[in-house]
Amino acid sequence: MQPCRKSLWLALSASWLLLILLGICPLFRLAVPPKPPPGHPQGWPHWLDAAFLSSFSQPGEPPEDAPQLPQAPRGSSCSWGTCFDTSKCRGNGLKVFVLPLASPTSEAPQRILASLETSGYHTPNTSEACLLLFLPSLDQRGVCQPLPPHWSAGKNHLVLSLHPALCTHRGQVMVAEASPSADIFRPGFDVALPLLPEDHPLQGGAPGQLQQHSPHSGAVWLAVAEERGGWRIAGIQDSACPWDEHCDLHPRPQQTQLGEMLPNATFCLIPGHRPATSHFLQALQAGCIPVLLSPRWELPFSEVIDWTKAAIIADERLPQQVLAALREMLPGRILTLRQQTQFLWNAYFSSVEKVIHTTLEIIQDRIWGASAHSSLLWNSPPGALLALPTFSMSPQDFPFYFLQQGSHPESRFSALIWVGALGQPPLKLIQAVAGSRHCAQILILWSSEKPLPDRWPKTTVPLTVIEGHRKASDRFFPYSTISTSAILSLDAHSTLSTSEVDFAFVVWQSFPERIVGFLTWNHSWDEARGGWSYSAKMANEFSMVLTTAAFYHRYYHTLFTHSLPKALRTLVDETPTCVDVLMNFLVAAVTKLPPIKVPCGRKHPEPAPLAPGGPGLGSETQPLGQDCINRMVAEFGHMPLVSSRVRLDPVLFKDPVSVQRKKYRSLEKP
Amino acid sequence: MCASVKYNIRGPALIPRMKTKHRIYYITLFSIVLLGLIATGMFQFWPHSIESSGDWSVEKRSVRDVPVVRLPAESPIPERGDLSCRMHTCFDVYRCGFNPKNKIKVYIYSLKKYVDDAGVPVSNTISREYNELLTAISDSDYYTDDINRACLFVPSIDVLNQNTVRIKETAQALAQLSRWDRGTNHLLFNMLPGGPPDYNTALDVPRDRALLAGGGFSTWTYRQGYDVSIPVYSPLSAEVALPEKAPGARRYFLLSSQMSVHPEFREELEALQAKHGESVLVLDKCTNLSEGMLSVRRRCYQHQVFDYPQLLQEATFCVVLRGTRLGQAVLSDVLQAGCVPVVIADSYILPFSEVLDWKRASVVVPEEKMSDVYSILRSIPQRQIEEMQRQARWFWEAYFQSIKAIALATLQIINDRIYPYAAISYEEWNDPPAVKWASVSNPLFLPLIPPQSQGFTAIVLTYDRVESLFRVITEVSKVPSLSKLLVVWNNQNKNPPEESLWPKIRVPLKVVRTAENKLSNRFFPYDEIETEAVLAIDDDIIMLTSDELQFGYEVWREFPDRLVGYPGRLHLWDHEMNKWKYESEWTNEVSMVLTGAAFYHKYFNYLYTYKMPGDIKNWVDAHMNCEDIAMNFLVANVTGKAVIKVTPRKKFKCPECTAIDGLSLDQTHMVERSECINKFASVFGTMPLKVVEHRADPVLYKDDFPEKLKSFPNIGSL
Repeated sequence: MQPCRKSLWLALSASWLLLILLGICPLFRLAVPPKPPPGHPQGWPHWLDAAFLSSFSQPGEPPEDAPQLPQAPRGSSCSWGTCFDTSKCRGNGLKVFVLPLASPTSEAPQRILASLETSGYHTPNTSEACLLLFLPSLDQRGVCQPLPPHWSAGKNHLVLSLHPALCTHRGQVMVAEASPSADIFRPGFDVALPLLPEDHPLQGGAPGQLQQHSPHSGAVWLAVAEERGGWRIAGIQDSACPWDEHCDLHPRPQQTQLGEMLPNATFCLIPGHRPATSHFLQALQAGCIPVLLSPRWELPFSEVIDWTKAAIIADERLPQQVLAALREMLPGRILTLRQQTQFLWNAYFSSVEKVIHTTLEIIQDRIWGASAHSSLLWNSPPGALLALPTFSMSPQDFPFYFLQQGSHPESRFSALIWVGALGQPPLKLIQAVAGSRHCAQILILWSSEKPLPDRWPKTTVPLTVIEGHRKASDRFFPYSTISTSAILSLDAHSTLSTSEVDFAFVVWQSFPERIVGFLTWNHSWDEARGGWSYSAKMANEFSMVLTTAAFYHRYYHTLFTHSLPKALRTLVDETPTCVDVLMNFLVAAVTKLPPIKVPCGRKHPEPAPLAPGGPGLGSETQPLGQDCINRMVAEFGHMPLVSSRVRLDPVLFKDPVSVQRKKYRSLEKP
Repeated sequence: MCASVKYNIRGPALIPRMKTKHRIYYITLFSIVLLGLIATGMFQFWPHSIESSGDWSVEKRSVRDVPVVRLPAESPIPERGDLSCRMHTCFDVYRCGFNPKNKIKVYIYSLKKYVDDAGVPVSNTISREYNELLTAISDSDYYTDDINRACLFVPSIDVLNQNTVRIKETAQALAQLSRWDRGTNHLLFNMLPGGPPDYNTALDVPRDRALLAGGGFSTWTYRQGYDVSIPVYSPLSAEVALPEKAPGARRYFLLSSQMSVHPEFREELEALQAKHGESVLVLDKCTNLSEGMLSVRRRCYQHQVFDYPQLLQEATFCVVLRGTRLGQAVLSDVLQAGCVPVVIADSYILPFSEVLDWKRASVVVPEEKMSDVYSILRSIPQRQIEEMQRQARWFWEAYFQSIKAIALATLQIINDRIYPYAAISYEEWNDPPAVKWASVSNPLFLPLIPPQSQGFTAIVLTYDRVESLFRVITEVSKVPSLSKLLVVWNNQNKNPPEESLWPKIRVPLKVVRTAENKLSNRFFPYDEIETEAVLAIDDDIIMLTSDELQFGYEVWREFPDRLVGYPGRLHLWDHEMNKWKYESEWTNEVSMVLTGAAFYHKYFNYLYTYKMPGDIKNWVDAHMNCEDIAMNFLVANVTGKAVIKVTPRKKFKCPECTAIDGLSLDQTHMVERSECINKFASVFGTMPLKVVEHRADPVLYKDDFPEKLKSFPNIGSL
């Protein structure tokens, strides 16, 4: 029995031990005053009488019966509402008078003046102007120019200095200067300009240097701007702050001086409170994401450009965090930031002309108020200089924003048939086009010397006749009678089948920002002549689509008429054969993409001349007006055309299947 | 010993053998132990309720019982607000340290009642709105109760309405806060600033470097990038539920509903009404209201009485004039009603103007242009007005409707300044949910044609068909633009052939061995991929000519944001079954390309591996099918664009083409593929695939032109 009892005792004590172990914890918990468990903050108390608390404002309070009269602007603070008189700008929009230059010694203001004079803003008449532009400069002795006579406290004056302002006039005058200090900058009134290098091109300008969307696998991760100019490369593993001299005592071998070269890096770190050089623009052009540390200057055009989409602005006091954030940045974000730098560079910064036009466009937007460019138009391709708010206030109406708006191009088109000088009514063509189920209307642009025919063929769609002025540029006038986004531009001599029209239109719906057409030309650099030339020969590539049979968006008529320099429109009126080239230049400059070619069924007959002496299409001869392409390149500042090697055919085009299965049969007839 | 243990295990069997004395003793002992165990068990569950009831007693207190703090008359007063303050000069960002979630931590001082030397309270302890505001912060992710970890401090001293506080004493109360330090990183909320006679546009309480979230800033008092402009909360928001009204033309074109308007402004408004008649309505407060009617909720025009704010829904545009203060609560009412505010208050900083695009929801008219208001508004197209109405209502819903919304938006703005690289984008702030849902932001939006010199990387997924694999490698290596070949060896049980056995090709060939036989291995973003263009190719695709592959690469260069592939497929809506159906017949349309042979941007590999919605990736791996359909869905969804099918139809060796193996197998395959489409469409919540009727051919394909002069002559040969 004895061993039995012993074991019982053992079991009992074991049970007691268990009991104590289990029991002691809660007992402890009871003994210690209750404390919130960690990770569950106590928070703001829930007051018992919360419901009975009184409101912060009682009805009838404050006494509102004695409001103040408008306050006069105090000190140097000016805002758009108080210091700019928009009444002068009504009707004409923004008209700019450039105050005469006192000392025509320096060249730069002269060039700016010349570029302004060709733009639509300029007026030679002070009384007509709503903005007086003053280009300050230093005379030989380095003294600021005296203020011009019209000054009158500077109301409606804009002082535009592309370099950090030396002669600061504030007060009621608007100041557009390079990288202004954030302390004196008046948001919504002044305009911040980029700091341009001395040799910045006036027109055109170099395109962005990004050739691919994602960073090259061999690209440097981080480049740091040097104070004297140039860039230094920092490795990804550098844990020490790479911009601080003190923590970088042992320069690594891979850190080399890049000199003036533009950086091929993913991030470009720009320390310093004041921009000493044009590092910022260099990075932008190179597609290197600018990382600005506590800039004390206003970013260029910050009123309209959303810089968070293209640059990183961070606090210099948190270097580790900034570096860590850069390292951990998701590839998708890097992709978007890089692409945005390129878009912004190309749209607003690549030339002096663009910088000035952007400045004026910002002021114009302020005048327009509610009908100004929306943020979407400023911050997505092709940019606000190419998306005119006069065309429409709804982004869906433009050919560029369907994706962002989640909308689709409409499924109808308007056919615009140009009847040239000796033209006959294109009866067959009208029937073919009207046969398309997508056709909404037919417009005849009658530019023939012959009288208008009395009768037109009966069609299922409305037919309207517009009398033209026998000018080539008439073809691209934004006629108010055009009711659809899509235009099928035709020449009376074109021969198209309904099936061709249908297919081309369906393709256009996938590419609403491009020209979709049948006959193509290709451009090339002619070594022998030292210039550009173009040819209508059959080739493996093309860069232009003839507008004698092409689909494109109605918006290009508005751009053609209202945004192209007058000189170019005069050029095509004088040389009508150039009109196709000009339209292709315009669309390519906007989209940066080649046009789309679709197949034409039977071999087109000897192509119709646009005007007497027009180019022979498909013939061996070179199209006439070879010179106009070079004049356009000069006017655009660069060659915008892009070549393509692709033709879009129907899915079953010439496939060995039964013709019965094919939707666009007639395209295959030999 | 051993036996007793056994007995012990048997338990009660032991008891009858013992003596009675012992039995009683043992039974008592066991009962005590049992009781003890039960009690312990009870304790284990009890304590929670005991604790929470303890919490209850701690939290549920009355505002009247908060501790009283006596402020000596000579206690220090902070400096007046420093107008030159910016985040980089007056804000101590070090306190925000590094936080992996990029979120600031906010501490709230506990509530005290401040009295002066004479025992007279400094202010009302707390207003209902300020209590709501602090509760909202406390319930948010920003809150911390650890003062040492906090980056932003919110005093519980209520300064929402300057008229309810004694300025000097409140300032003294602020200065004695434990972490005041000249107000650094302290945030004050104020909606009604200034007091008679001159009504300053910012809080008059000296606050040194403290940030001010103020309603009614003017350009002269607002420290751009430092202060936050907030709305003046309208208590009507909570009282009256105005259901959203569809945008469109309304009964009144322009409405003025404010009660106290400066006589000069009223004159101008009445002149407008006289000129434009019915479409303009200028209301005033009611003077002849009968008993029991709330004057705040009524407006009058001559003898007509209108319900406010319901009336606002009858107007397209509503005037928001400045009164004694720039910020007006009526702005909130107007937005709630979906009426477009016409803000006439020179130099007023609109609420949250740092992030909200007010051009989309309001019209700002300078005071001196007031007489032109009507013509300015009439010049706005109807479509734009409707857009503004929608936007106005959305601003109210997101940022105005409650004190909580105002508090969280304010903290988000400050958070975005401190962690700018994690900031919320313009679209997230401004786009209404419907637009956010419908819009597509293509990750490769920049129009550019990558240089040909870059070339492409071919990725061959293989299991064990070595012979066929080697043939594919040899064929693909003939393509001029190939820059690297990557073989993904998906067989874990078998080693790839020895190096010497592989075909000798002119470009680097790399073999990657995978850990598991998964289809998603084909779309992994391998470090070895150095080019942007990727050619995914199966180990049995030997029928593509070098010309065809090279041309495919050229097409990809022109359309780098799309899937460019050879065999095309289509999805169709099956009206009988009411679901999607997979189609591989010779159709006139294409909506997918098979990734057995397709070019695409390498970024889509990253997206497939890390950003595929829902469980699609695992589902595909588990079913060993449809990885290509998943890729088609992914790319179409993210770019909003259709695929490009290249070159004419060829006889491809693929499961659904080998009808020889038996019709039933073919049918099972088609059913499975259809299932995939339906599954993916439900996960994506939409059908992203786009149907097109075109394919890409070389410019001179089948044209009457000498073959030898064509760039890509060998295309479409069977």
